[in-house]
Amino acid sequence: MVGLLAQAGEAARLDTPEVEWTALAPVLVMIGGAVLLMVVAALAPRGSRVGWHAIVTIAVAVAAIATVVPQWNRVGDDGPFSVVAGSVGVDRFSLFLTVVICASVVIATLFTDGYLRREGLEGAEPYVLMLLSASGGLIMASANDLIVMFLGLEILSIAVYVLAGMHLRRVRSGEAAIKYFVLGAFSSAFFLYGVAMVYGATGSTNLVEVADFLARNTLADSGLLVAGFALLLVGFGFKVAAVPFHSWTPDVYQGSPTPIVSYMASGVKAAGFAGLLRVFVVTFGDYRLDWQPIVYWVAVLSLLVGAVLAVVQTDVKRAMAYSSINHAGFILMGVQAASDRGVSAALFYLAAYTFMVAGTFGVLTVVGRRGDGHHQLSDYAGLGRREPLLALALVVFLLAQAGTPLTSGFLAKFYVIDAAIESRSFWLALVAMLSAVISAFLYLRIILAMYGSSDDAETADGAAATAGPRLRVPAAAGIALVIAVVATIGIGLVPDPLSETARDATPELVASGD
Amino acid sequence: MTAAALASEGGASAGGFPLLTSCVVLPAVGALATALVSRRRPESSRLVATIFAVATAALTVAVLVAFESGEAGFQMVERATWIRDLDVSWHLGVDGISVFLVVLTGVLFPLAMLGAPPHHDDKPFHAWLLLLEAGCIGVFLALDLFLFFVMFEIVLVPMYFLISGWGYANRRYAAMKFFLYTAFGSAFMLVGLVATAVLHARGTGGDLTFDLVTIASDQGAIAPVTARWLFLAFAIAFAIKVPLFPVHTWLPDAHTEAPTAGSVILAGVMLKLGTYGFLRFGLYLFPEASAYFAPLLVTLGVIGILYGAVVATMQKDLKRLVAYSSVAHLGFIALGTFSLTTQGLQGSVLQMVNHGISTGALFLLVGMIYERRHTRQIAELRGLQKAAPVMAGVFTVVMLSSIGLPGLNGFVGEFLILLGSFLTRRWWAVVGAIGVILASLYLLWAYQRVFHGEPDEANAGFAEMRVREGLVMAPLVALIVFLGVYPKPVLDRIQPSVEALVAHVEDHSDYTEPPVATEGQRARSAAPAEEGGD
Amino acid sequence: MLLNQFLILSAVLFAIGVYGVIARRNGVAVLMSIELILNAVNINLVAFSAMTGTLAGQVFALFVIAIAAAEVGVGLAIVLVIYRNRRSIDLDEVDLMRG
Repeated sequence: MVGLLAQAGEAARLDTPEVEWTALAPVLVMIGGAVLLMVVAALAPRGSRVGWHAIVTIAVAVAAIATVVPQWNRVGDDGPFSVVAGSVGVDRFSLFLTVVICASVVIATLFTDGYLRREGLEGAEPYVLMLLSASGGLIMASANDLIVMFLGLEILSIAVYVLAGMHLRRVRSGEAAIKYFVLGAFSSAFFLYGVAMVYGATGSTNLVEVADFLARNTLADSGLLVAGFALLLVGFGFKVAAVPFHSWTPDVYQGSPTPIVSYMASGVKAAGFAGLLRVFVVTFGDYRLDWQPIVYWVAVLSLLVGAVLAVVQTDVKRAMAYSSINHAGFILMGVQAASDRGVSAALFYLAAYTFMVAGTFGVLTVVGRRGDGHHQLSDYAGLGRREPLLALALVVFLLAQAGTPLTSGFLAKFYVIDAAIESRSFWLALVAMLSAVISAFLYLRIILAMYGSSDDAETADGAAATAGPRLRVPAAAGIALVIAVVATIGIGLVPDPLSETARDATPELVASGD
Repeated sequence: MTAAALASEGGASAGGFPLLTSCVVLPAVGALATALVSRRRPESSRLVATIFAVATAALTVAVLVAFESGEAGFQMVERATWIRDLDVSWHLGVDGISVFLVVLTGVLFPLAMLGAPPHHDDKPFHAWLLLLEAGCIGVFLALDLFLFFVMFEIVLVPMYFLISGWGYANRRYAAMKFFLYTAFGSAFMLVGLVATAVLHARGTGGDLTFDLVTIASDQGAIAPVTARWLFLAFAIAFAIKVPLFPVHTWLPDAHTEAPTAGSVILAGVMLKLGTYGFLRFGLYLFPEASAYFAPLLVTLGVIGILYGAVVATMQKDLKRLVAYSSVAHLGFIALGTFSLTTQGLQGSVLQMVNHGISTGALFLLVGMIYERRHTRQIAELRGLQKAAPVMAGVFTVVMLSSIGLPGLNGFVGEFLILLGSFLTRRWWAVVGAIGVILASLYLLWAYQRVFHGEPDEANAGFAEMRVREGLVMAPLVALIVFLGVYPKPVLDRIQPSVEALVAHVEDHSDYTEPPVATEGQRARSAAPAEEGGD
Repeated sequence: MLLNQFLILSAVLFAIGVYGVIARRNGVAVLMSIELILNAVNINLVAFSAMTGTLAGQVFALFVIAIAAAEVGVGLAIVLVIYRNRRSIDLDEVDLMRG
């Protein structure tokens, strides 16, 4: 659209670009589904016991995934292409992330259903917002223009601000929302300032043109550009929760409704990295010597700060927030490598991480009980006895996050380490693995808490341990947990399908055909 | 010539039956089967687990039977692609170095299971134990760096749960310490491992591969200085696992707090993962760096011998004493390994097996004592010999084997190690020999305090060894005597592989084995004939 | 050159906005500071647009204005929720969670 207007300025005529609607299908399905859901929910009588809101949401997300398949094949046959006058690109990178984001919506929705019933918050709004937010993520993943990227970022973010504050009666939910909003808007503004700088330096916001400009010209005085890099990095850094732009993460994760956190940690993070990879690795690839050192240190800090601060927390949700910062550091290693291998490693990590983190927060949702307040380490005591299956699922997710072999987490770490070493960042790889050991301490602490009551069981012969209030695992949440466990172990045992898909999903910038 | 000899994938493959894979898979299946047994029938879970453990033991013995002595290379090799993209394969094989460790693992697990039942929750206990067995056997058989690491790491999880779930008072601390120490080492190893594969691919210009045999054969691909760094990355992981002197502090806690079966496996099998790692991923993968760092590691080994012995002497807790004696014994194994002589290596491999048998048996006995008296304090035990003469007799044999009395298995291994290290590192060997004397000091002194004298009131009712306990100890005692009197069949099978390994180190470094060590050993002359076969 | 003056103006506005977000305690004042940053960006965009002779910057500025409106709408709603729960919009008091 922008390119079009630029043309209009030069040629003094206005022709609307050919819009290939099928190429935009995933986004259209998500937005259309959200609007439809909102309208129908407004008209339908309230109080239905069947979770049809959730069912529609899942159907929409699955439909969006389904539209990816023909496009994946098309890109395979004809190569990547761009639509809407070159402002949206369709390549396997964007399609891969589309699937990841939609999958995280599906899982989060399954947890949300039970959560809303338990808290007495039934309604279609959370689902509508989640679908809209995810559509923003999809736009980010396929943006070929900084303006479109910004639009996607805002659509993604604004919906999530509201989701964070969704639990109106919980003061902490409101606190999370305001903190997320202030820092999110703040970071968006930084991002925007960075876009303006890059625009000033290169004369375009279209990523293809920016990349062309950078390839053709060696900027003697690249101060404007480097300032642009730095500001853009701040913006993305906030979204992916990298140190030192992480300060919102623990508060927001702790305060937000837990199923929403599962979406934040998977979907929102994936969208943030989508933008980061496309803008930095692909568009600014020629200038990697300028930004690689910054990303290197951001990665080191995220790895260490995330791991160390996670260990000292007593609130499990908060600890998992820090651990997600640690994971962001791992994914940043893939960005830092600035190579095809690095990109596919980051994609693999995002896909694997989506399932394990969504599953983790899913278990936390259930354990949180009514009021979503039981997240202290002591609330996990004896869970292994009371709810052996739920505890076992959490063990799988935590071990995967720790990077234990035969889980997806190990391979995810393995691929980013591989990418880092390929680009000769040996020390970064070592720091990453050591941070994984530190954060393993946290995961083990939670596991110990769950299985720690065997002493009491010996004396009371198991009677006391089973006396605590039973947790109700809603059927939908159970399904989601099974999906997440199967994916986590399945990817760990047979990584080839995912890793080869991630290998194929290299981002490419394609200029508009017209 | 020797790389070729090591790489030759000859030998019997047991008529197409994937024997080695079954050794790894069967216990894993057993773990699953045990976990699926109904919760209301805990006895049957124990029965199922024991059946699987015994069946695995039978399989490992079958491996030993099928193993052809006189072959240096890997036998019964099985290979199937696992991760195409990284060229990671399910690559298993056994040679003279690993075959006895596999058998040891197979034999020790059912004995530990039968000899030391848990106090509660039979089902998960046995399931974890079987999973642990699968991992341990996997480590000894893996011929792929990635697969090795997976197995090396995966054993942590069951062991962590075993210690933290069924251990003694301070178990959580011990379990956490154990896990974090080992994971810390593994972090270095993972980075080193990936770097090895990547640099190898870059050096040869070929595709990325994690195949051990391929990488070890292309010694020129990685620059020697880089290889030394990589060796160090691996060495840190193995040194922690062994454990060598400065990084051994997890061991006494883990061994003492672990349940008896856990201690048996920890000492008997899991410590060998480290020493075996040094052989397979130190000497074989980085021969030049191994020779370069040999003085350092030998020194650490010797320090471990003395330190372990001295600290063991001061222990008041019987189990802790045995734990520290492990530090000393493992020091011997490190000394033998990095003496880089045929005898030293042979002794090391044999001593790994010996230590597994005798220390495993010691932990079982200590467990039996604890079960009766609910204390492990040496000061509270007295005169057990009067109350339980049979147990005292068994304890004596096992203890003497641990000390290294001629005629029992410990002597053969220690003798070979001292002989081998004397050839290349005379003074280290002399100091190491002092360790043997100290070992007799602390063990005999402990024995004297616990078993001699008149039993006081608390110890008078000490029950004699039961039949079940006797049946568990019998095979271990039999092995102790057999290996002490007639070690030849074992040494014959170890020797070719060890010689090839020493020659591999010689080929790729400045090191040359002193002539005395090679004299009278004709087996090497047969090696060039194999070169064409690869 | 003219451009520099615009850039300096924009940088000053940006800095004031950043200061406001960090230092002000009143929720509404923080929202206004964020608006200030966005408008600083708009000045930049328009200035660059004039300099490079492309329209993209001006179009972008329009987008930013629209999005800023949406953002403030949501922001005010959240502040309102906080006010209903706590009878205060002082953001420094909103810190139940620490650590």
